[in-house]
Amino acid sequence: MEQQVTVAIIEDHPVVTEGVASWIRSDPDQRVRLVQTARDLSGLRGLPRPSADVVILDLELAGELVTAQIPDLVAAGYRVVAFSGHTDPLIVMETLDNGAHAYVSKDEGADHLVEAVLAAAADRPYVTRSQARAILADQRPARPELSQQERQALLLWFQGMSKASVGRRMSISENTVRQYISRARAKYAATGRTAPSKDALLARAIEDGVIKPGEIMPYQSFARAATDHPNLGAPGQ
Amino acid sequence: MTAVQPTAMMSGRYQRAFTIAVVVLVAGWHLVGGGGQLLDYRSAYSSVPFQGAMWLIMALAIAAGSVLVLRGTPGWRSAWALALIALVASTAAAAASPAGQMLAVNWSWGSAGWIGVLVLLRRRFAELAWFLAAEAAAILTVQVWDGLDRIDLAAFLALLAWSTGAQVAVAAGVRALDAAAGQAAAAARSEDAARERAATAEIIRVARHARWLALQESAVPLVAELAAGTADPGDPGVRIRCAIQAARLRRLLAEGDDVLGSLVHELHASADVAERRGVAIEIETAGPLPSVPGPARRVITDAAIAILTAARSRARITLAAVAAGIAVSFVADTGTVVVLPAAGDGVAIEQQEDDGMLWAEARWNSR
Repeated sequence: MEQQVTVAIIEDHPVVTEGVASWIRSDPDQRVRLVQTARDLSGLRGLPRPSADVVILDLELAGELVTAQIPDLVAAGYRVVAFSGHTDPLIVMETLDNGAHAYVSKDEGADHLVEAVLAAAADRPYVTRSQARAILADQRPARPELSQQERQALLLWFQGMSKASVGRRMSISENTVRQYISRARAKYAATGRTAPSKDALLARAIEDGVIKPGEIMPYQSFARAATDHPNLGAPGQ
Repeated sequence: MTAVQPTAMMSGRYQRAFTIAVVVLVAGWHLVGGGGQLLDYRSAYSSVPFQGAMWLIMALAIAAGSVLVLRGTPGWRSAWALALIALVASTAAAAASPAGQMLAVNWSWGSAGWIGVLVLLRRRFAELAWFLAAEAAAILTVQVWDGLDRIDLAAFLALLAWSTGAQVAVAAGVRALDAAAGQAAAAARSEDAARERAATAEIIRVARHARWLALQESAVPLVAELAAGTADPGDPGVRIRCAIQAARLRRLLAEGDDVLGSLVHELHASADVAERRGVAIEIETAGPLPSVPGPARRVITDAAIAILTAARSRARITLAAVAAGIAVSFVADTGTVVVLPAAGDGVAIEQQEDDGMLWAEARWNSR
């Protein structure tokens, strides 16, 4: 059996913390273990090593948005799953750009939070409907280019279909639907500011065959460098 | 239709009025000014029938030019064809005038210039300038051919200043009026848009206030019951009531202050009706949504009503900007497919049913 994933909850409303804890407890396989709860981020600072694999972070603590604190958490070795009442696509995008693994809105918590924590612990993409919405709404000039299939899968997922239904609608397997959505997410990990969590997510996506190095902009230069200098190519080739 | 049209029409109406004024001016000049002079000096011409023929040719050019400009701005071929006819006819009339008193008895210069104003009115100003210069040069050439003394030159310059000056002034005036009408129309347009925005904002504010008042009556008692322990969270009925109130609260919170497009507004109205029946409804949008014309909106809201009526306990409505249009989708636990309105007015409708959940999408395409 795989080791349990350890998680910390940073949330300023005890009733929400209690609700999240109950979702974690009711997971039939007990895949996640809650090791720490706190009302602010001070308890996570200055530790020799991360106290948990994943941090469930409420983005609004004591009335203030803490998206700007995410890079520090990520640099300290935490994987961050944002859990927020906000659904504004701009906030979602900023959170992901700052290095959070996933974004779960409070409406989506019961269905998605535990799964998002597990995916984050494995550095795998997890795309909630609110994340799909933010990607679809993205108008920034620097946004990554999505294929038509990726966009269609994201749209149907955002609309509220199950992934199995999306697959039937697109005449593809449910697994391929996951691939398309994960690939779109992985493309976002390759843009914007750099963060170790984004690199880990990308590396895992490449390892899992979700995305090829050539499909990611920053990796294109590596590919070119590899052909120019065969000795500097990716290890294991 | 949109508010753009009446204001565009307004600017168009002014322009048409200016055009008619120019047509009347040019035709009147040719009839009274040119024709009068021709009759006055009929004894001076060597051939009155020839002068009359030239006058008639120019009258026909004015008639043709009037038809063209009243239909819109003429193309360069037809405009310049008429202008050249006027140039040639007026030069021939001048050349056939008695040598010593050509400038005194010639009626054709003024008429030719006015024809130029008529047909070149809304083309580039330089074209009219070139035409008037060519006309003046042709008349001067005739005069030089006949012999040019200082008195003739003075008379030529006086006539040039008078007739060409008046023609340039009229053309410039019409241009300025065109521009003013365009500005007035643009101002009216933005005023219309602002008024429409303000009206929509007010409608939304009132609707939001009404919803807030309704929450006081529905959510507050539920919370009180939960707190007092008279409502049991384990009871499925209580859970459904909670889900509905939560959906309404979320919508109220998510509305923010931005003015929603009328399609979103109409879908909200349909959702309110279903909610009163006990269906929990979410509405979400993705991306900047295009505005959808009225007939297409009706097809979409009819589909919404059909689906929300069939929904048993929950429905999700999403609006997403897609290439060249909008995709409005519905996911609801209808248990079966729903009879939806016929597609049309640019809206295509599709549906699929899986395990009791209906997915339907109305896609409006602007192309």
